[in-house]
Amino acid sequence: MIVLLFLHLVAATICLAPGTRSARWALPVAAIAPAATFAWLISQSAAVLDGDAATVDIEWIPQISLSITLRLDGFGLLMGLLVSGIGVLVLLYSISYFGRRSDLGRLAGLLVGFAGAMLGIVWADGLLTLFVFWELTSITSFLLIGFDDTNSRARAAATRAFLVTGAGGLAMLAGFIILTITGDTTTISGLVADPPTGTLTNVALLLVLLGAFTKSAQFPFHFWLPGAMAAPTPVSAYLHSATMVKAGLVVVARFAPTFAADGLWREFVVAAGLASLIIGGIRAMRQQDAKLALAHGTVSQLGFLMVLLGLGTPATTYAGVAMLVAHALFKASLFLSIGVVDHEAGTRDMRRLRGLLRALPIVAATMIVAGASMAAIPPTFGFVAKEKALDGLLHAEIGAIGTIALVGIVLGSVLTVAYTIRIVVGVLGDDAPGVDAGEGSDRIEAIDVTSVHRSPLAFVAAPALLALLSIGFGLAAGAVGDWIADATTSLDAETASKHLVLWPGINEALVISAGIIAAGTALWWFSRAATRTVDAAHSPATVVYDRIYDGLLEGARRVTVATQSGSLPLYLAIVVTTVAVALAVALVAGATDSISSPRFSNSPVEFIAVVVTGLLAVATVFARKRFMAVVLLGGSGYALAIVYLIQGAPDLAITQFLVETLTIVVFLLVLARLPVDFDPAPAWAPRIARIVVATAVGVTVAVFALSASGARTEPSVGEDYVALSEPEAGGRNVVNVILVDFRGFDTLGEITVLAVAGAGVVNLVRAARRHQRRKHLGDEIDELDDVDVAADEHDGPGYDAGRQIGVWR
Amino acid sequence: MTVPPRSRRSVVLTETINGITPVLLLFSIFLTLRGHNAPGGGFAGGLVMGSAVVLRYLASGPRGVRSLRVDPIVLIGTGLVLALAVGLTSLVVDGSFLESAVWKWHVPVVGDVKVVSSSLFDIGVHVLVVGVVMAIIVAFAEADDEMRGRS
Repeated sequence: MIVLLFLHLVAATICLAPGTRSARWALPVAAIAPAATFAWLISQSAAVLDGDAATVDIEWIPQISLSITLRLDGFGLLMGLLVSGIGVLVLLYSISYFGRRSDLGRLAGLLVGFAGAMLGIVWADGLLTLFVFWELTSITSFLLIGFDDTNSRARAAATRAFLVTGAGGLAMLAGFIILTITGDTTTISGLVADPPTGTLTNVALLLVLLGAFTKSAQFPFHFWLPGAMAAPTPVSAYLHSATMVKAGLVVVARFAPTFAADGLWREFVVAAGLASLIIGGIRAMRQQDAKLALAHGTVSQLGFLMVLLGLGTPATTYAGVAMLVAHALFKASLFLSIGVVDHEAGTRDMRRLRGLLRALPIVAATMIVAGASMAAIPPTFGFVAKEKALDGLLHAEIGAIGTIALVGIVLGSVLTVAYTIRIVVGVLGDDAPGVDAGEGSDRIEAIDVTSVHRSPLAFVAAPALLALLSIGFGLAAGAVGDWIADATTSLDAETASKHLVLWPGINEALVISAGIIAAGTALWWFSRAATRTVDAAHSPATVVYDRIYDGLLEGARRVTVATQSGSLPLYLAIVVTTVAVALAVALVAGATDSISSPRFSNSPVEFIAVVVTGLLAVATVFARKRFMAVVLLGGSGYALAIVYLIQGAPDLAITQFLVETLTIVVFLLVLARLPVDFDPAPAWAPRIARIVVATAVGVTVAVFALSASGARTEPSVGEDYVALSEPEAGGRNVVNVILVDFRGFDTLGEITVLAVAGAGVVNLVRAARRHQRRKHLGDEIDELDDVDVAADEHDGPGYDAGRQIGVWR
Repeated sequence: MTVPPRSRRSVVLTETINGITPVLLLFSIFLTLRGHNAPGGGFAGGLVMGSAVVLRYLASGPRGVRSLRVDPIVLIGTGLVLALAVGLTSLVVDGSFLESAVWKWHVPVVGDVKVVSSSLFDIGVHVLVVGVVMAIIVAFAEADDEMRGRS
């Protein structure tokens, strides 16, 4: 398993590597990883379905009991087949869809990276493993929604989806951590085998549900999914209908059989699921963009699945898994078909599309079959699964909540039938609903049918195959049902006896189904003239989200304005005062008695060096000119280097000497651009205050240094280092060996800081130059970027060259 | 002490700097390489090489820095990546970050040559430090250009 996940990572890395941006081979190469996964899963399926789950357990960070724990059970097998199978189809489909775009490498890499992360979710047994892969899918989803990165709406949609799912992920992490503690286990299988109880556990379960709701676009977090349609259609088909949005359902399915009866689990699941089901259904009726209509339909269907899988009774779990398979097949097929239509006809607007029945016959047939499965019309698999779901709810025996769920699902299904007909007829039909040729301003031109190209077979193969499976699984309901029953036993052992049938005979569920189809058709017929469109961007949930988001940014801005004055003297004062206070507290609380009386010097030379260091430092304070102060300070530093040398620390002395030299040079270069004299003390920091702060800091640090050197209780590690230097690291200079070997991590951290500082300087220069150029051009772009603070000073009457590097002041 | 225009620059200073630069460069490499066994190391070596850049700026002004045709950010990145790569390599090979590996060869004439993997780490530090010093100098060079452009 872990090898396959690595294979995805390698494929993603190859595709994302520089120089492969426009490579045509990227998509086929990327498809190798999911194809290999699919083949491997098929080879394992017999053993896994016999109850022989494969497990992987790799220690990662044992200190926080973080390990990569994977477990391939029946459900993981089923989901893995869906993820990898649809993954291969989508990648191959993308070859035709994208043609010769310039950034195929990035797309292929992100898609295959996502596929790997998604496999990690469905195979994860460790709670933290699950979380890590969960977040990985959020990140790849973010990058894929914003794939068209020059489009600001796509970027906004990507951010919205990422923040919502990311926040949910954090809630889930909190839930997982609580469960780890109350359940005393780090794995899902451990929780299920020995379930914890109590209020804390119930809170944790609700947090987990919160995460699942955000990921699976459940009310009230459903609003990010329609926005995510800014992604290219293959991405929407794969991530936002077939796989990623099922991640929440996967978690719910794994937890529900054990925990559904506890706390408020069922109430929450049914409330969120039914709300999504109904709201998504109504919204889907009000879209003119076929893809958006499908997206709202996905929200609706996910709500349906959430109710089924969340109730946790054996019958609904079984029906939920069957429905999940059916949904993945027909929804991916529909999305991919819409992608073909968009590609060939140039629009997805149902008001403009006409004549496609003849122009794109295979796509039309595909959409009709997949649509039939979505509307649960026999003999499709969607029908079989929905029969089972209705039957399971009728006999759920979980009290009133089961009845509520049943009624809600029936209503939702009526909507499903209605919007399915609407989409299929809208895309394929000749007199598309809502064409209003009379009103001049809103007039929408129908497409020119003769310009629609017939699509190549390779392009329509993927959606057609999925549609064939939708109907094939329906016809072979018995065999497929038994297979799913075996797979589902890993969720709930009692599902083993369940099975699916194509034609159950006349029973309650069938009567209800017939009623749903009739009511749905009627609903479509009577609403077909309605043209009202609801833009997802203005739905109440989006508006609330946007308010919160804007408020957060505004709040952050205000906090920044309040705390960041931009005055270097003030920053310096705050930093040094904090240091002084912290040290003083430590001194008062602890070892004042350990202050050692310092040995002043070892030799006359050292005595002289120390005195010179001190005198020059004192002289610096009294210097009137900036230039004088810099030279005196540098002299003090050189004298200190001599002290180091005498103390036997040549490395330190060399470094001190070099740093001092460079500092002086840089200082002088800066001084050339500053006024000769110091500025008078500003009103908020009078001379006396400065003296007090400076003295306090100096005294505290000195006392602390004396105290610290006398406070040693443990033996020094220095001796070990000296002893180990040559044998362990092959170096005789122990200082250097410490830097590059023993404490190499510290050095790495330090040079990283240095690199960041250097990059900061480079970017400040570039930003200033850009700003300057803009000014020269007389451009009046009033852009608030980071250089404005420095640049504003150019405009002042007292402009002098030195002011451009505002930081130094 | 803004670097004066070419006409007012001291010939003595410029020539001295031009003469000393190769020595400085050699010395900086020497410092870095000997660091493992004697005082020196990547940081000190990098600073010396950085001072060579500073001197070049003092001698020939912004033009001198630009003529190096090196982007400081490239140096910074290279150094960081090199140091990180050495660390990660030993993490993979040895299981611990920055565990030194030691190789010894006997080379005719030169004698015994000992190479320690952490020297590569030190070279990374060296390159990075040069980059940072250079970034600062380039900032000054840019400021000079701007002033000339204005007046």
